[in-house]
Amino acid sequence: MKYLGKKLFTLVMTLFLVSVIAFLSFEIIPGDVVSSILGTEATPEREAQLREELGLNDPPVVRYVNWATGVLKGDLGVSYRYSKNMNEMMPVAELVGDKLPVTLWLAAFSLIMIIAVSIPLGVMWAKSNNRFLDAALNVVTQTTMAIPSFFLGIMVTYIFGILLKWFAPGGYVSYEKDPWGFAGYLLFPALSIALPKIAMTARFLRNSMLKEMQSDYVRTAYSKGATKRKVMYGHVLRNAMIPVITFLGMIIAEIVAGSIVVEQVFGLPGVGRLLISSISTRDFPVVEILILYIAFVIIFVYFLIDILYRVVDPRISEK
Amino acid sequence: MTKRTFPKWNTYTWVGLLMTGLVLLLGIVGLFWTPYSTTQMNAAEIFQGPSLRHLFGTDNFGRDVFSRVMEGLSATILISTVVVLFAAGAGIVIGAFTGYFGGVLDEIVMRITDAVNAFPSILLTLVILSVLGSGRQNLILSLSIVFVPSFVRIVRGEFIRLRDADYIKRARLMGVGRVRILFVHILPNIFSVFWVSVMIGFNNAILAESGLSYLGIGVQAPDATLGNMLADAQGYLQVAPWYVLAPGLTIVWLVLGFSLLSEGIRIGGAQDD
Amino acid sequence: MIKIENLTVAFDGADAVKNVSLELLDGEILGVVGESGSGKSVTALTLMGLLNEEAVVKEGRVIFDGEVIREGGKPLNKALYRKYQGEKMSMIFQEPMTSLNPTQRVGRQVEEMLKLHREMKPAERKDMVLQTFQSVGLKNAEAVYDSFPHQLSGGMRQRVMIAMAVILNPRLIVADEPTTALDVSVQNQIIELLREINKTHNNTMLFITHDLNLAKRLCHRVVVMRDGEVVESGTAEEIFDHPREEYTKRLIEAVPSRMNRKKREIVRVNPVIEVRDLSVFYKEGDNSLFTAGKMRQVVYDANFAIYPGESLGLVGESGCGKSSLSKAILGINQNINGQVEQYTVRPQMIFQDPYGSLNPAKTVGWLLQEPLKAAARMDKTKAMSKSQMEEAAYDMLHKVGMKDKYFHRTPAQLSGGQRQRISIAQALITHPGFIVADEPVSALDVTIQAQIMELMQKLQEEMKVAYLFISHDINVVYQMCDRIMVMKEGRIVEIGDTEEVFTNPQNSYTKDILYLSQA
Repeated sequence: MKYLGKKLFTLVMTLFLVSVIAFLSFEIIPGDVVSSILGTEATPEREAQLREELGLNDPPVVRYVNWATGVLKGDLGVSYRYSKNMNEMMPVAELVGDKLPVTLWLAAFSLIMIIAVSIPLGVMWAKSNNRFLDAALNVVTQTTMAIPSFFLGIMVTYIFGILLKWFAPGGYVSYEKDPWGFAGYLLFPALSIALPKIAMTARFLRNSMLKEMQSDYVRTAYSKGATKRKVMYGHVLRNAMIPVITFLGMIIAEIVAGSIVVEQVFGLPGVGRLLISSISTRDFPVVEILILYIAFVIIFVYFLIDILYRVVDPRISEK
Repeated sequence: MTKRTFPKWNTYTWVGLLMTGLVLLLGIVGLFWTPYSTTQMNAAEIFQGPSLRHLFGTDNFGRDVFSRVMEGLSATILISTVVVLFAAGAGIVIGAFTGYFGGVLDEIVMRITDAVNAFPSILLTLVILSVLGSGRQNLILSLSIVFVPSFVRIVRGEFIRLRDADYIKRARLMGVGRVRILFVHILPNIFSVFWVSVMIGFNNAILAESGLSYLGIGVQAPDATLGNMLADAQGYLQVAPWYVLAPGLTIVWLVLGFSLLSEGIRIGGAQDD
Repeated sequence: MIKIENLTVAFDGADAVKNVSLELLDGEILGVVGESGSGKSVTALTLMGLLNEEAVVKEGRVIFDGEVIREGGKPLNKALYRKYQGEKMSMIFQEPMTSLNPTQRVGRQVEEMLKLHREMKPAERKDMVLQTFQSVGLKNAEAVYDSFPHQLSGGMRQRVMIAMAVILNPRLIVADEPTTALDVSVQNQIIELLREINKTHNNTMLFITHDLNLAKRLCHRVVVMRDGEVVESGTAEEIFDHPREEYTKRLIEAVPSRMNRKKREIVRVNPVIEVRDLSVFYKEGDNSLFTAGKMRQVVYDANFAIYPGESLGLVGESGCGKSSLSKAILGINQNINGQVEQYTVRPQMIFQDPYGSLNPAKTVGWLLQEPLKAAARMDKTKAMSKSQMEEAAYDMLHKVGMKDKYFHRTPAQLSGGQRQRISIAQALITHPGFIVADEPVSALDVTIQAQIMELMQKLQEEMKVAYLFISHDINVVYQMCDRIMVMKEGRIVEIGDTEEVFTNPQNSYTKDILYLSQA
């Protein structure tokens, strides 16, 4: 419990630091926000008024505190680029809100694919004594790992969308309109993210198992008269999974990165695409919130991984 | 005869070297010469399929795709080489000192590298680029910064492992100077691990650069890189698949070459020990 | 009856075991002794059906109660072997820590034997495991049952392994160096336990060891192996008291004993090193920004001096503080109270592991010249020309009994004994008056061990160097040292002339050690 508290404290501290860095980085950027929002033809009065509205006259520390307390209360600020109508500015929360589920579903789909395929594949690979299979899997996984996700996305579009016509490229439907259509469409970008990671994870698990199979305790298990199957599932797998858990944490972080690129390829209205467009249009309130959000996801995943690690490896919790 | 600074060759190393060597050569030649102009548009030759005249066909402006791939390659190679050289160099120095001496400085550096390593490099670069603004120089700068921690971590880990080795304890007892212990006694023993991480670094740099350029945040048109070519070509997937395949497969080829190299060095290094 | 007939096993085309025949009589303990590379472990693993996939059984047979269970040229019949493994034959390994699954409670690991070979209810199984734990001397069996391997001591772990091996009361128990990784006193308990098991259950035991004293104590009959072949076999008495073969004689002679010892006169004036009221502390836990490391005392008030040309032996179990003491003397550990006065140029150290103590990236020539370069950098008057340094290095190489051709080799191209010679040469090339030798011969085979000890004594005469000689083997210390110092739990409990301490020990702990190490 003491450990958990300590970890939670670190988690909060890290988020705090990320928020400070995310907020202050955009303070040092040259260029006036107000004139870029209103254009060059605005009156000085209008500029001064907007400046006041956005709180730009306060010193950075005050602005950070205002922003941070707002975020904690659920007020994520307003976008510089988008507006609801002529007089009302677009709240960032609204902008991000309907894009979040798309990205989360995409990440979940990919993660499920990765775990469902790579773990059985890695175990089977480690168990097999077939040289041909071994060489074939080696070549296939090496090559798959080398394909960047955006190129893979384009190839998936070409093969499944244009040649096989299993889905209509660019024909994204929202979850509210048609849940099955939504899921069916998401399958393909998820595949583009998952495929290289499946290859990586399967290789990693296989190597980990092969290493464990050289251990003394495996020899002990055989000396009891256990079958290879019993040795593999009863002894090797759990020990081999320990490093894989950490590896999966890294993979999840990479899924988040991968989704940014893949959303672009498939025209998905997710958080990643919003991030890219906000960066190109220098819509900093949106960028800040998105950075904070992504950082939170990643830090939280590592937190969970850390706990899982302790559950699986009894040696850690002793210290 | 001292221990090899580069581990024993094997099939992986040879195939990897052949693959990367071929493409690197193409990229270096591309710096000085391409078969056709990479900017000259030619309305008469729009979307020609691959042929002997145009090995990889032509694009929507009738430009030779092979020439543009060469140009893109040289940009990609140039950027990733600068990034890896800088990051690896900084990584060795920082990793060696913090790993060997430990202490408060090490603690701080370790916290930072851990935090940075937790985030995928493409994401961090994206964030830095959003502050600095896009473009080639900024891309190189931000990738260089982002890649330093991964090298620091690896080099630091190796120095921590070796600083308590018996032969290093003995060197200290002999009164060998600290800097000499770091770079004459320890460094030669981490070369195979270091080369592996350099190769992986190349891979990540190529992937990050092309990914960001694909997103339109890295190198901007009219400069060609493999990434922004792909972004252009994606719209013509149906009419000119070769236009997509040429830069895409080139990236795959290059990355595969580097990962085979790293695998080869890793296996060779393990055999040496 | 269990028999191995004309067994030949090859790894990578090279024969590791050549035409070996063994016969195990019912209820006996058969010892197989030999140095590393003698093929003793490979023979045992073949018998157990546990060889690596790379190993090829080229010829011979393994016969268990009349049934041929393994035949040369044929692949291992795994299904047949599984009926024997655990049920009729079981094995105890050298490293109990790595031989147990680190992520499974030890009770379950022992219980797996029952799950595999017996139809029993879970409660019955647990009962039987607890009983067996008690019978192998594990008190508090319930707690042990629920422990993970890392929560137990080395001796307890080995008892768990033994419990696993005996729970089904198999006909044959193979023990491969079961005490090598343990402290002397624990070693002794384990040996007695094995003897008792053999007496009460009448199992046949194959006992593999490099330690001739152990074989002499425990075994009824002994087989001596060398380079994959059987050199000699016979009853323990025949082998140890009347060896026929030249190699056996050499092996027995090489074992440090209380017989052959040169007595020397040491003039005890002007010490090379003097230790007064020395306490040593050790930083515990991670010393991070937020938590300052706690200091734990590992050595209490040590007082002694070492004189030129003298060897002072330091004896004690692992964790008694002998390494901490030596590190403090050399200034590697700075967390000390009290004084250490050095009256010599930088004292050097020789380590136990010959593989870890030479920089693998360098050549022998470079390694021998580096101390000279370092000395010259610190003290300009010691500067030497390149050729002078090279000459000194060659000279030292000859002194440790090695030829010129090794000058350009790397450590990877040397054997363990040769590496230890280079280590000694590297330590002595700057002519320090004092050297700490931390278990310098413990990782070596007996015959090599004898050579290195002889070399160290020769160099001591020639160079008038003093040694602090650390060893867990009191017989090695007896042979090497003029005085002996016994440590227990961080305190020096006895120090005195070797002969005197051996004949008339004052401290009860010293008496224990002396008793336990008697062959």
